[in-house]
Amino acid sequence: MSAPPRRVALGLTIAALGLAALPVVGLPAFYESFLYIVFSWIALATSWSILSGYAGYFSFGHGAFFGAGMYTTATLTTAFGTSFLASLPVAGALAAVLGAAIGAVVFRVKRLRGELFGLLTLAVGFVLATIVLNTRIDGGPGVYLSSVPLPRLVASPTGTLYLLGLALAVATIAAAYAIGRARLGLGLYAIHDDEDVAEGKGVPTFAYKLVAFALSAGIAGVAGGIHAMYVSYVTVGETFSITVPLYVVLMSVLGGARHWLGPAVGATIIAASLYVFTGGQQAVLGRAVVALVLILVILLLPEGIVPALLARRRRRTPVSVEMAAAVPAPAAPAAPLACTDVWRAFGGIQALRGVSLEVAPGEIVGLVGPNGSGKTTLINVISGYYRADRGRITLGGATLTTRPAHAIAGLGVARTYQIPRPFAHFSALDDVAAAATFGAARLSPAAARAEARGWLEFTGLGRRAHALPHELNLHERKFLELARALAGRPRVLLLDEVLSGLNPTEVAGAIRLIQQIRARGVAVLFVEHLMRAVLELSDRVVVLNEGEVIAAGGPREVMRAERVVEVYLGRAHVA
Amino acid sequence: MLLEVEQLAIAYGDAPAVWDASLAVGPGEIVAVIGPNGAGKTTLVNTIAGLLRSRSGALRFEGADLAAVPPHLVCRLGIALVPEGRRLFTRMSVEENLEMGCYRGEARRARGTSLERVYGLFPILRARRRQVAGALSGGQQQMVAIGRALMARPKLLLLDEPSLGLAPAVVDQMFETVRAINAEGVAILLVEQNVVRALDSAVRAYVLEEGRIVASGAPAILRQQSRIRQAYLGLRDDQDDTTP
Amino acid sequence: MPSLTLLGQAIVSGLLAGGIYALLALGLSLSWGLLRLVNLAHFALALLGAYLTYQIGTALQVPPWLAGLAIIPAFFLVGMALHAVFAYFRVTEFTSLLVTFGIAVILESVIQWFWTADYRRYETPWATASLRVGPLFVPILEMLACLTAAALAIATWAWLRFTYVGKALRASAEDPAIAAAFGVHHRRQAFLLSGVSAAYAAIAGAFIALIATLAPAQIWAWLGVVFAVVIIGGLANPIGALLAGLLIGVSESVTMAIVTPAWAPLVSFSVLIVILIVRPGRA
Repeated sequence: MSAPPRRVALGLTIAALGLAALPVVGLPAFYESFLYIVFSWIALATSWSILSGYAGYFSFGHGAFFGAGMYTTATLTTAFGTSFLASLPVAGALAAVLGAAIGAVVFRVKRLRGELFGLLTLAVGFVLATIVLNTRIDGGPGVYLSSVPLPRLVASPTGTLYLLGLALAVATIAAAYAIGRARLGLGLYAIHDDEDVAEGKGVPTFAYKLVAFALSAGIAGVAGGIHAMYVSYVTVGETFSITVPLYVVLMSVLGGARHWLGPAVGATIIAASLYVFTGGQQAVLGRAVVALVLILVILLLPEGIVPALLARRRRRTPVSVEMAAAVPAPAAPAAPLACTDVWRAFGGIQALRGVSLEVAPGEIVGLVGPNGSGKTTLINVISGYYRADRGRITLGGATLTTRPAHAIAGLGVARTYQIPRPFAHFSALDDVAAAATFGAARLSPAAARAEARGWLEFTGLGRRAHALPHELNLHERKFLELARALAGRPRVLLLDEVLSGLNPTEVAGAIRLIQQIRARGVAVLFVEHLMRAVLELSDRVVVLNEGEVIAAGGPREVMRAERVVEVYLGRAHVA
Repeated sequence: MLLEVEQLAIAYGDAPAVWDASLAVGPGEIVAVIGPNGAGKTTLVNTIAGLLRSRSGALRFEGADLAAVPPHLVCRLGIALVPEGRRLFTRMSVEENLEMGCYRGEARRARGTSLERVYGLFPILRARRRQVAGALSGGQQQMVAIGRALMARPKLLLLDEPSLGLAPAVVDQMFETVRAINAEGVAILLVEQNVVRALDSAVRAYVLEEGRIVASGAPAILRQQSRIRQAYLGLRDDQDDTTP
Repeated sequence: MPSLTLLGQAIVSGLLAGGIYALLALGLSLSWGLLRLVNLAHFALALLGAYLTYQIGTALQVPPWLAGLAIIPAFFLVGMALHAVFAYFRVTEFTSLLVTFGIAVILESVIQWFWTADYRRYETPWATASLRVGPLFVPILEMLACLTAAALAIATWAWLRFTYVGKALRASAEDPAIAAAFGVHHRRQAFLLSGVSAAYAAIAGAFIALIATLAPAQIWAWLGVVFAVVIIGGLANPIGALLAGLLIGVSESVTMAIVTPAWAPLVSFSVLIVILIVRPGRA
């Protein structure tokens, strides 16, 4: 998904050293100042994108953290006599805590919608501004830092700020890159594409969003602290204006919010362009142009510049065709899945009434029943998407009903979705690798990719490893669902109508796959309408009707049972 | 023939849902389409109602090509839909839902008489006319859905799984109503998972399995065929040990 | 603790201020609730309407109600044009937030270009006129704004409730496919609604010109409060928007009377944050 680490590290180091040398060599103050501004925007935009670009939670309050950092440094240096450099980590920490606090409250709300999060964060900025304005932190007249001593790293004061800004920018880009390749980044990308599915595949969504938000806020805080020194006169109006929130969004969106280098590219372009419009009426024009560019970019180039450029050069390395040796065994010792007296209602509708069933390791249980009988609800409850109102679900010794969905996935429960829900921006290989990383097997990202190749071969998608979901047809997407579910090496596999829409040959192929999986000791519970497949595949069949189990046993006896025939076809067909 | 469907193929993106479906409904007839879950029944009905576009094949209503008509004009031709799952405007009142049925053209002018007719068929709705539709029971909601479609004064009523989620007693009542509506001359295309009710009501039936029409004919004949058992229960003849 | 008179005056001022909030919230509530588009440019449009009212009033000596006859229909068309852009690019709910953000900034720049950032005040003979009700003063213009808000809210409610177009709008917002199956042409409804929403912005703008001091940055000043009003009042709920506006207005002015005035903005923003957390599902 991104360039190899050694090359990036080398590139960054060279660029950093080269740029750092400039003030020493003797750069005119004007350029030092201009480049400092660029570095500051790079740090701001890149830090913004760590949560908002990667995970898709667009924050309109980045200015609040920037402002918090600015005022922390301003207050500490003027009112408490702290040294400027010492105030910076405090500024970062305070902003990070603020971010964490907001996140802790806001992210608890299940599926907080994008635009509401945006509005909320916008409001936070205004609230903070009011507080700062009305307390002794500022109180109105602003804060002067002109008497605060600035450590001289090089000859000129702007040079020092230049170096600090450069250090922050480089550190932020490096962090964004590292996160993008680590489990945290992978999880954030998954959250961006489909948070519910990500949670179901084992991504601890709440924790990851919180960490990303806090980190993003902290960096903005440090940038603010440095900037306080740069402007040397801090006012509420200037600090908490709409500029920072607007520009970081624009810069990241322009450059490519999902890419670690995107915001930096966007920031450089915008900051440089803005310098053309300085002061007076031209500043007004500049803002209008910036806004117009934002609109055009969102409408025409939604992914940003950097991804658009990279897309042309996407390598299609053929995947090596070595067959997976054998189907890997489940990650943990086999255990039976047991549902005991599970109840679940939605509003006034009782979807599950005291459902009890068991699936033993190496057993395939077919779950059937008329429309609306509760089959998918049961799968949703077992996988943790819904909580059971009453009853217990256990996997071996562990209780599932008390755990969040990602923990259940971690214990080895995997599911497929009736309508495939692949991560829209992930290639097939990356998607399956993500499942391998976050599933019960908890493989490192590198090992996960190797494992993913194996599973893609197993499901016949070896040659489509680098395809994006919209390039796959329905059959391929269904099998991708299967590969993702298997990649976590689950002990329990919940299949939700995995065969619907497939032609007879494809169905036969799928049946063979499922039988191979069973042979490794996985417990399989599958919902299906294709009756002949149910009869062929199942060791046992459980029939649900209106939320209740009305029959369970061998496939043929169950489908012939009086009660079952009556439920499907009516009394007339019985006997 | 009122409605003619010939070799219709419908797909969702690249996922084919219906292949080569052909059926016909004559004026004043009740025709049933039965089949197990996932067979494509709702897809077929939604296409006739204009919510989906077909890939290929012919779709004609009163001789005119239906496939070319934009969705919001289908109603005007005389086709009204009672969707699967009711799909009422839950935040609007019962009467407002009914009024939405006669939104178009001449039907609007006949609002008063149409309302009387619906309340006559479903007296309980008159008592609840100002209640928010979302607060009604499943059976009552089904009544509103049927009433809404009747307000459009259709020549052809599309009924998609009307018995879904309803208690047996309510289902009985509902099929009584369906017969009463048909008696007034409205043709009905009934899509049902519930085989018994469907075959009891219809004059002709089609069996849809995995997107294809696999059998058709008079109910009496279809009831005897094991094709239906096979479609719904997956049992093949040679595996049955049914008692005659 | 302030005197009863002061408190009473605060309540009156709050109600009147709430009227302006409600005027602004009406259009926004309609488009967000029925079209699923978040229109941040609504505020910018209102302010533009205010500046235009001011300009026509001071340069051409045309009274606001007459100017409105030109401005309101023009804004109706602008609203439709805006929706044409949204429809063409198939803008989603979230993207609309970003795009209208951009449009708002552009409009702010346009305003600043023509009228500079200096404060502008539309001086009218009625600006200082007020009624005396016992010990309380009720400024005429603001009362007019409040009454207009109430009238408009009720008219909108009636329109949505009793007319076929109104019912079609509500039905289409909930289930556009089924509404279409019964003859509702979604696109036409959407254009109509966008136009109406923008027209409301123009009306709000006219009163803002009469009552408040104008500056380009005002656009952002209203943002938090009005969104709080929209969400508290419930999307697409005109009467709710009116009541929520009055409630927030009174809360703010009472806070101003009891605590220092500068804390007033905190009230609405804090309420917004609380509401967004407590009731994030659409009202």
